[in-house]
Amino acid sequence: MSNILALTSRELKAFWYSPIAYVVGALFLLLQGWVFWLLLAVLNDPRVDPSFTASQFFFGGTFFFWFAVLIVVPLLTMRTFSEEKRTGTIEFLLTAPVTDTQVVLAKFLGAWIIYILLWALTAIFFLILRRLTPFDWGPVLTGYIGTWLLGGMLIACGILASSLTRNQVIAALLTFVALLFLFSIGILDVFIRDPESGKIIQYLSLIDHLRNFGKGLLDTRPMVYYLTLTTICLFLTGRVIRSPRWRS
Amino acid sequence: MIEMAIPIDVSNVTKRYDTITALSNISFTVQPGEIMGFLGPNGAGKTTTLRILAGMIAPTDGSVRIDGLEVTTHSLEVRRRIGYLPEHVALYPELRVQEYLNYRARIKAVPRTELRNRMSEALERCALTDVSRQLIGRLSKGYRQRVALADCLLGAPKILILDEPTIGLDPHQIRQTRELITALGRTTTILLSTHILPEVEMICHRVTIIDKGRIVAVDTPSQLRARLQGTQVIRVQLRGEPSVIEPALKQLSGVSRVTMHGRTNGYASFDVETSGGADIREAIFRLAVDRQWTLRELSQTQVSLEDVFIKLTTKEQDAA
Repeated sequence: MSNILALTSRELKAFWYSPIAYVVGALFLLLQGWVFWLLLAVLNDPRVDPSFTASQFFFGGTFFFWFAVLIVVPLLTMRTFSEEKRTGTIEFLLTAPVTDTQVVLAKFLGAWIIYILLWALTAIFFLILRRLTPFDWGPVLTGYIGTWLLGGMLIACGILASSLTRNQVIAALLTFVALLFLFSIGILDVFIRDPESGKIIQYLSLIDHLRNFGKGLLDTRPMVYYLTLTTICLFLTGRVIRSPRWRS
Repeated sequence: MIEMAIPIDVSNVTKRYDTITALSNISFTVQPGEIMGFLGPNGAGKTTTLRILAGMIAPTDGSVRIDGLEVTTHSLEVRRRIGYLPEHVALYPELRVQEYLNYRARIKAVPRTELRNRMSEALERCALTDVSRQLIGRLSKGYRQRVALADCLLGAPKILILDEPTIGLDPHQIRQTRELITALGRTTTILLSTHILPEVEMICHRVTIIDKGRIVAVDTPSQLRARLQGTQVIRVQLRGEPSVIEPALKQLSGVSRVTMHGRTNGYASFDVETSGGADIREAIFRLAVDRQWTLRELSQTQVSLEDVFIKLTTKEQDAA
């Protein structure tokens, strides 16, 4: 456990000392600020359905939400393993008395904590909104939980991609394509007529999940999906970094 | 008396990458308290061997035991027992020396009560105290090398595996590092690789010479030098009874050592070492004719100790 703490704090330091984290963070907050401004405009519009809530709009309600998630995650995960491979620090890491599981989990936690913090900062918008109009905190909280869990899954994908290459740019592109694929499954919904396949698509549709989280529904089905894919990706990452030890 | 496990025991290790055989059937041991030099020209397989010892890569075949533990099955315990300095020193440039060593000490599970002492001791032994607050990325190569060496010492390992510890250092730093290794050798078992022959003579108790993935010789530096004076190795394959052939070969004049390599289809193959530079191939041929042993091979082996020696000495001259 103390190993994971030491490894994770090293990961966080790497973010803290790198300009990428600040650039990504600043752009992310700028984008979310823009979303918030739009949100205020929408809520002020008398033609909008009164049942429409702020959290529904904010979590997955706009194109900007997905844009932020699909861009931020690859930028957070791209250097995790590829940079260690490129510079050679991976040899120091893998010959230290730490298990592969600890190494992978620490990389994951490092990126995930940054992701969680970035989103947590947007809570300021809701605090401001609260002064202007009453709303229910429940759906906001479930919206955050959904966003964080979704992010965990996407970060795990990104870390797997990063472990496959020594080039950060390739890692980022690979991640972006993978995330885009996961995201676009939900869009297929429109083309599917068969109700059975439609159900599967719906189960895998990130867009539908977020819509529910934003409504205040804490559905365990997408959570199971997120946790499963997170575990699979992290497990595979462990196999990838261990493989040179066992390659015969 | 408690039986002490052999610190490093490599037996019949082979490592193949797809089509290339990096190591073929190498065996050697390092005894407690010994400083063993692992000497060979570039590309001989030194780094591959040390990486296997450190648990970074797995051998294709054979067994490697560190302190009595098999590295492939007890990787974690083995890594706790050794300090490994890789050939290419790569450290996180954004951290300060102290920060980095603190991080390494924590992942090496150094007890909190000892952390401070271990760190200051490692900093002092590697002459890093003055730069402990500097960013690693701003340090010169020599300093970074020493930071990595300090990292090796943090876990207070019984065994040190150092891959070319003096490469890229200036003469003053080389001397300091050699002195440090000699001092460490009093309490630790050390295996260090190098391609510099005088370095081995200066600091090692014994030396293993490797070339093209094979062990060429294991001896003390002084005996090795004596053996090198005009040694030749001749490979012979004869059909017959090895127990008869071996003593007969030994009795030829000039032969210092005969080693048997195995038998295939009734042919036994031997390496015949001679001293004094005599070419005894003719004598072997006459012996075979006299005793009516069919002779299938009679050649000077390509990898003789002398060849390696020449490669190593010319390297040193080039470097000087």
